[in-house]
Amino acid sequence: MPAVLTALDNARTAAPNPGAETVISVRGLTKVFKDFWGRPKARAVDGVEFEVRRGEVFGLLGPNGSGKSTTVKLLLGLLYPTKGHIEVFGHSPRHVATKARIGYLPEESYLYRYLNSRETLDFFGNLFELRKDQRNTRAEQLLDMVGLNQTRTRAVGEFSKGMQRRIGLAQALINDPDLVILDEPTSGLDPIGCREVKDLILALARRGKTVILSSHLLSDVEDVCDRVVIYYGGKIQAMGPLKELLAKPDAIRITTPALPRETMERVLALIKHDVSEDKVRVDTPTQNLESYFLDVVQRARLAAEQTSGATSGAKVAAYLRGDELAKPSGDRILERLAAPQPSAPILSTPTAAPEPTIDEQKLQSLSAPQPAPAPQSSTPAKTQDPVELEKANEKLASLLKPKGD
Amino acid sequence: MQRLLAIAWLTWKAALRFRLFIVVAALLLLSVIGLPLLLKDDGTARGFTQILLTYTLSTITGLLGLSTLWLSCGTLARDIEDCQMQVVAVKPVARWQIWLGKWLGIMSLNAVLLALSGISVYGLLLWRANKLPPGEQAILRNEVLVARGSAKERSYDKEIQDETSRRLRERLEKNPISTADFKEVEKQIREQVKADLQVVPPGYSRPWQIELGIAKNWLHARPLQVRLKFNAADRSTSGTFYGIVRVGVPQKTKLYQSDTLSLAPDTFHEIPIPPDLYDDQGILTVTFLNPNNTALLFTLDEGMEVLYPEGGFGLNFARGIGVIFCWMGLLAAIGLAAATFLSFPVAAFFAMGILVLVSSSNLLASTIEEGGLGNYNAEKGGHTNTPVDWLVIPVFKGALNLINLAKEFSPIDNLSTGRSIPWSQLGRAFAQVVLLLGGIFALGGVFIFSRRELATAQGTH
Repeated sequence: MPAVLTALDNARTAAPNPGAETVISVRGLTKVFKDFWGRPKARAVDGVEFEVRRGEVFGLLGPNGSGKSTTVKLLLGLLYPTKGHIEVFGHSPRHVATKARIGYLPEESYLYRYLNSRETLDFFGNLFELRKDQRNTRAEQLLDMVGLNQTRTRAVGEFSKGMQRRIGLAQALINDPDLVILDEPTSGLDPIGCREVKDLILALARRGKTVILSSHLLSDVEDVCDRVVIYYGGKIQAMGPLKELLAKPDAIRITTPALPRETMERVLALIKHDVSEDKVRVDTPTQNLESYFLDVVQRARLAAEQTSGATSGAKVAAYLRGDELAKPSGDRILERLAAPQPSAPILSTPTAAPEPTIDEQKLQSLSAPQPAPAPQSSTPAKTQDPVELEKANEKLASLLKPKGD
Repeated sequence: MQRLLAIAWLTWKAALRFRLFIVVAALLLLSVIGLPLLLKDDGTARGFTQILLTYTLSTITGLLGLSTLWLSCGTLARDIEDCQMQVVAVKPVARWQIWLGKWLGIMSLNAVLLALSGISVYGLLLWRANKLPPGEQAILRNEVLVARGSAKERSYDKEIQDETSRRLRERLEKNPISTADFKEVEKQIREQVKADLQVVPPGYSRPWQIELGIAKNWLHARPLQVRLKFNAADRSTSGTFYGIVRVGVPQKTKLYQSDTLSLAPDTFHEIPIPPDLYDDQGILTVTFLNPNNTALLFTLDEGMEVLYPEGGFGLNFARGIGVIFCWMGLLAAIGLAAATFLSFPVAAFFAMGILVLVSSSNLLASTIEEGGLGNYNAEKGGHTNTPVDWLVIPVFKGALNLINLAKEFSPIDNLSTGRSIPWSQLGRAFAQVVLLLGGIFALGGVFIFSRRELATAQGTH
């Protein structure tokens, strides 16, 4: 599990090609909502400008009511700008033919409640004028991907919120879009579903698809986005590549396996030579809650626990994977894990405020030999070990394998 | 086309999943089967059949009309209110395709429901007819379960206009009148001229020369019917007036004269006449003798006509249903147009309001005829014009012209009286009701829908 996170975290290392095709161009965009008499009611978006290039995962980040969803709806032609200019693939957002290249997941389930999953996908497939065999194939793959293949005859109106998000995501991808606009895609999803959505976004980006992700969930944006804009009060407050925005170049972090006390003392003494004691922090790396949760679920699944809801999909639909991702899932996982990663020990910038003092007792415990923590933490150095790599691969493969296979 | 059909299919799914189809179909079948049990007729098979056709077809039209309005308002307005339209509109489907797809869905639903109820009515009629004695069956076949063409006297519009102008000139030469009174005087003279053509004074007769046209070629040896209706200047103690109908011209054609008939005023009467009474040019001369002490008035438009067999009932019935289908097309267009800019309840209210306006077209006609909204001025003998008349009257005229385009068809009346509904009439109904009137609503609806910001609606579920 942690190995997956490592792969995921590092999947979007390359900056988007600045020479790539401009998919979306927004200039001076302003949207003022007016009342019945034409009097201004709210300025939802105010002078926004940005560009999104092909293959980017672009995040719209901001608190509720900051103008993210309004921007998304303006991009889709569902709202019309009061001022400014929008181009999507070089056309107006209302250009009908351009919409064939777009997939959209709204912030709520706006699907027909009386249709079942299969009918929903068939209906939207027809709107894209897909052939019957294409619709059938894609619907099957998508239902499998979002884990709804066992509930295909249930009306969407009977679905839980998470299941509605899943079918919503499936309909957004039925046309294999070049531009995917996802408004709060993980809202209502369980951690497994969130992970799957994030994996999917990365898989789409690897195929050169452009993804716009609107969310107020920082972890979603952080995990997958190349660049973000941060909204507040309808205006862009910050914009740029995520790594640049988050970087703290005046600090470093060193992660190593547990060291003997003497070595630790020597290292600290060396550091203290250059840095005052209150600016040095020593602690044990922990995995995040998402990794831990996924591991628990995986163990339960292996124990053959039953669920009546959505199953874990994880297998990205073949037509969305494209040629590169049409390889067996095991190969893909290996590829991810073997992809260039920051060398171990990781030197990274701390994201938390530094703790002021060094706890001698803590130092003692850290320097003592310890058994490997369970569940396993993501120690990057181990990814270089072929045996560990194989173990991680097997674990991932079993996790990604749909239940019942 | 695939997109249009997908959206039409969606309407079917909604109608089936929400059980609208089942409920409307059940109500229609119930009315077809249940109404004959409740109806009271004049005791003849003809009367019963006429009433049965009138009531069942009227009920079907009413029920289907309401469900069409309801569904058309709901299917679009609800999609917008519940935001489903946001997901559809971001797909490569134009707004006009969404609108038209919805219309096609509703109309295909109507087609099935109308066919279902129409076949039931037709089957019921034939089943009941077959149970009648042979004599009654023959009457039904000749007068009700048949498609009869109609021939009337030629139009006298030009003569009326010429004579009105002549008399008006004479009047003006003798007695100049003010410009304000001119129209009123002309109207009165015109009515006088028309009365001369319509009135059969006591003890007199009035001939009508009715040209059968090309129908004469297939009417050899086939019985015809004279259909007449009159109004009387005075009341009769018995409630009826006597009359004799004579058909044909002495020494030129065969002759037929009826017995002295006792006829109620303001009622249509059908009098069977023997075959082959028309001359070589296909002109049938019908003379009405008035032996009463009061004048009888036969209006030019429906006072006297001859009915002749033109085709079978089955196809005529189908064409009649076709005209009703055209009306449903217009209702669906009205409902969808309203739903493009109004919420569901308001759209339904708006559409119903239009129907009320249509049903009160007589009021519009009388306002136009009176020349304004003002009250009648007894001193001047005319209506007082108000400042808004210059706007209201042209609007009323336009509205009335449009309404009459849809109201000029009367398939239920035609079917119940065994009158033919020719293909040309069905084609005209389609052109006027669906293409022209429905097109006006469609253009307006699509125009508004295309410009509407769909994401201003907030989801309601």
